Amino acid sequence: MADIAHENVAPRPAAKRGVTPTRRMLQIAAARTDFRIGLVGFAMLVGLAILLPLVSPVDPIKIAYGSKLLPPFPAEGWKWPYLLGTDQLGRDVLMRCLVGLRYSLLIGITTVVLMFVVGCSLGLYAGFRGGWVDAVIMRLTDAQLSIPMIILAITILGVSRPTVPAIILVLGLSGWPLYARVARSVALGERSRGYVLGERVLGASDLRIMLLFVAPVVLPPIAFVAVLDIARMMIFESILGFLGLGVQPPTPTFGNVIADARKYLLNAWWIATMPGVFMLVSLTCLNLMGSALERARNAVLRGEA
Amino acid sequence: MTGPILAVSNLSVDLEREGRSRRVVDDVSFALAPGEVLGLVGEAGSGKSVLARALVRAVSTPLEIAAGKVVFEGKDILSLPPRALSAIRGNRIGFIGANPMGSLDPRLPIGQQIVEKLRCVRPGIGRAEARDKVLDLLARVRIPSPGARFHEAPFQFSGGMMQRVMIVDALVSDPSLVIADNITQPLDVTVAAQIIRLIDGLRQSLDTAFLFISSSLPVVAQIAERTLVMQRGRIVEEGRTAEIAARPRQSYTRALISRIPSIWKDVTAPAAREGEAVLTVDNVMRSYLVRRRGSFNAYNEVKAVRDVSFTVKAGENFGIVGESGCGKSTLTRLLAWLEQPDGGRIAFLGKDLSHLSARSLTEMRRSFQLLLQDPYGSLPSGMPLQRMIEEPLLIHGVGRAEAAKRAQEAMAEVGLDMELADRLPVGLSAGQRQRINIARALVLKPRLLILDETLSALDQVEQAELLDLFNRLQATHGFSYVFISHDLALVRRMCHRIAVMYLGRIVELADNSTLFEQPHHPYTRALLSAMPTLEDNRFPRPRYLLDGEPPSPIDLPLGCSFRSRCPRAQGDCEKTDPPLLALAGGNYAACLHRHEAPHEEEAVHVE
Repeated sequence: MADIAHENVAPRPAAKRGVTPTRRMLQIAAARTDFRIGLVGFAMLVGLAILLPLVSPVDPIKIAYGSKLLPPFPAEGWKWPYLLGTDQLGRDVLMRCLVGLRYSLLIGITTVVLMFVVGCSLGLYAGFRGGWVDAVIMRLTDAQLSIPMIILAITILGVSRPTVPAIILVLGLSGWPLYARVARSVALGERSRGYVLGERVLGASDLRIMLLFVAPVVLPPIAFVAVLDIARMMIFESILGFLGLGVQPPTPTFGNVIADARKYLLNAWWIATMPGVFMLVSLTCLNLMGSALERARNAVLRGEA
Repeated sequence: MTGPILAVSNLSVDLEREGRSRRVVDDVSFALAPGEVLGLVGEAGSGKSVLARALVRAVSTPLEIAAGKVVFEGKDILSLPPRALSAIRGNRIGFIGANPMGSLDPRLPIGQQIVEKLRCVRPGIGRAEARDKVLDLLARVRIPSPGARFHEAPFQFSGGMMQRVMIVDALVSDPSLVIADNITQPLDVTVAAQIIRLIDGLRQSLDTAFLFISSSLPVVAQIAERTLVMQRGRIVEEGRTAEIAARPRQSYTRALISRIPSIWKDVTAPAAREGEAVLTVDNVMRSYLVRRRGSFNAYNEVKAVRDVSFTVKAGENFGIVGESGCGKSTLTRLLAWLEQPDGGRIAFLGKDLSHLSARSLTEMRRSFQLLLQDPYGSLPSGMPLQRMIEEPLLIHGVGRAEAAKRAQEAMAEVGLDMELADRLPVGLSAGQRQRINIARALVLKPRLLILDETLSALDQVEQAELLDLFNRLQATHGFSYVFISHDLALVRRMCHRIAVMYLGRIVELADNSTLFEQPHHPYTRALLSAMPTLEDNRFPRPRYLLDGEPPSPIDLPLGCSFRSRCPRAQGDCEKTDPPLLALAGGNYAACLHRHEAPHEEEAVHVE
């Protein structure tokens, strides 16, 4: 008997298992080259956008007719006062791009956070409670999804003043149903799991179970995918700006800068191109990170890692 | 005398992981004669399944066949070219696994899949001929109306019926060897007994050899003439099954046998005891509405729990046994007040739970606790152990310092090392996890613990340790326990009084010794007869084992719901559905002809 009892407590390979799935996802993602490239590029852009306008004496909205439409090349004598040239009113393109990036990031990130918070809490609640609560919330998402986003944005922003909070609200409003759907479907599966039953038996309230136990399981994987949505929201912000429904001039944003510079595309290509390049680079970095996180998540879900 | 059809010599299999290799099958040699049934016993992780796969060379990357020969019908399987191998695998050697539901495509009718398989391994056979053969075999494994079921998809079969389909799938190509890996493990005892009886009949008529693998010696003993005992990849003992069971030579085999709890021989049944009523269940009903298939707005009513009444006294162990689908789990949820009954009343310490306000119900929850079956899913994975045990106290408004102190006391009491306090539950064994669950219930100082198959995921050693713990806690705290289980041996050892459930209803309620020695209801007798034991079964199978499966709970027959399978059924059973009727000694049985029981036994003894 003794040797058998001993065999049952035989060492199990526990050394590597003490990591939560979320941590494992991050580890897998961080080991990928594309994630690293994206992270470094994105961090550099964000750093530039935040710091340079603070320390630089150049004002992005100060008009200087004397130096309008300067190309992004060194002037005579190898002086380089305007790294990326100036626009039709003599404003520094680099500075305008960085300020545009600031707004783009501000709106993109806050929108995603808003969508995430609203969508996930509603979805979590719907999935966890089930019954008529679920039915009502899910029909609400259906109704919301049936309204095209651009039409909604034109209606709301056309009627009210397009301020930053209004833009965030409009974008968030159109995006939350997807999060609600996903959060609901996961919470639905989680609801009948053993640990939830166990908490019920101990006498825990629904709110306690949801916040303390279900949310930490359900939310992190969705948060990873939300990184991809930041890029999507930045594009939408530029679309709104391009249509004249974004943040209003003179504040520069990618959208309104490109819209204004269209007319000069043939003789001063850099005014419209530079914001485009900034957007391209920042979106590429974000998408690299987002897709690396998603792949890591899939690998963990499939049990490969 | 012909030679063996399968001769294995010095077979070894290595497991390669992280650059190190470990031998999981070590120098195994044995032979199998045509038409013989050879048993293979060993506990989980002893390498039985790896051996089974290695025999047909179905091992892949982390596993590698290191050495040895497997000679099947004169050919060495391990050195055959792939084409010749596929002519043997699935054709001359059949395989039945423990997971019948996962082995077939869920979208296709079962008949079509088996015909396809047959035509794949035997390209010469025609479609019509293959179809006839499959139909013939479906009838021979006693699937009712095989013609109709041929066209049904896997999800329309119950577990037992599906396992029969898998037997057909293995036998369809007339193999000379079938490897049956743990086939009765997912089945209920009565269904498992039916399957064993079926295989026994088939191999006599088909002259097929079986390698019958199981972790339980009693199961193997029902069918195998010879048995191999495997421990850590090695065959430690080989011999006639009866011989091994009666006179084991190796200490490992002796230990295996000593762990099998006995049911009738040298058992002192815990005697019923008196005490105040802790839990009173009166005529409780619960039914569910299930959307009728293929309709938009029509529902079927499934009566999951019908008219159940019993009382649990202070300090008593009350057992509830039954097979899957009998309403045990629903009853558990009702007892734990996770769901409310449709009718009837559940009272705890004299207070009807449905009359309590939300606040006093939460307060009341402290005194009855449920321990769940699955030790892995029932703990939140991202929480340190001590915090987990503090959780119930925090819910009920105990201060943090006090909660920490009581959690540590509880950890010590259930035997959890204090070093584990800050660890997450990952990597803990099933037994340790159940100790955490016990500690979580314990800190609330409950009066009643409901154990829903709590020990079924544990091995015998861990089970025994936890049962000791339960006894110790009962002695110090005066708990009452409700054991909900399909494991009759466990109930025999622990419970004072036992209720047997069938189709949502208690069919017999008796004290331990009456229920196991003179049960009155024919279903109880069938359950006992289906139990695999090494000792002589008091209720021999040919006489007591049931055929068929329980009727669907959607349309229950009129009258007694057991009468479709009952050997005692008479005309009056069709009219009256018997309630629990009193017997001598405070016992009850729901049978109109309950007084016939002693006569049946006499008849057996005369035979």
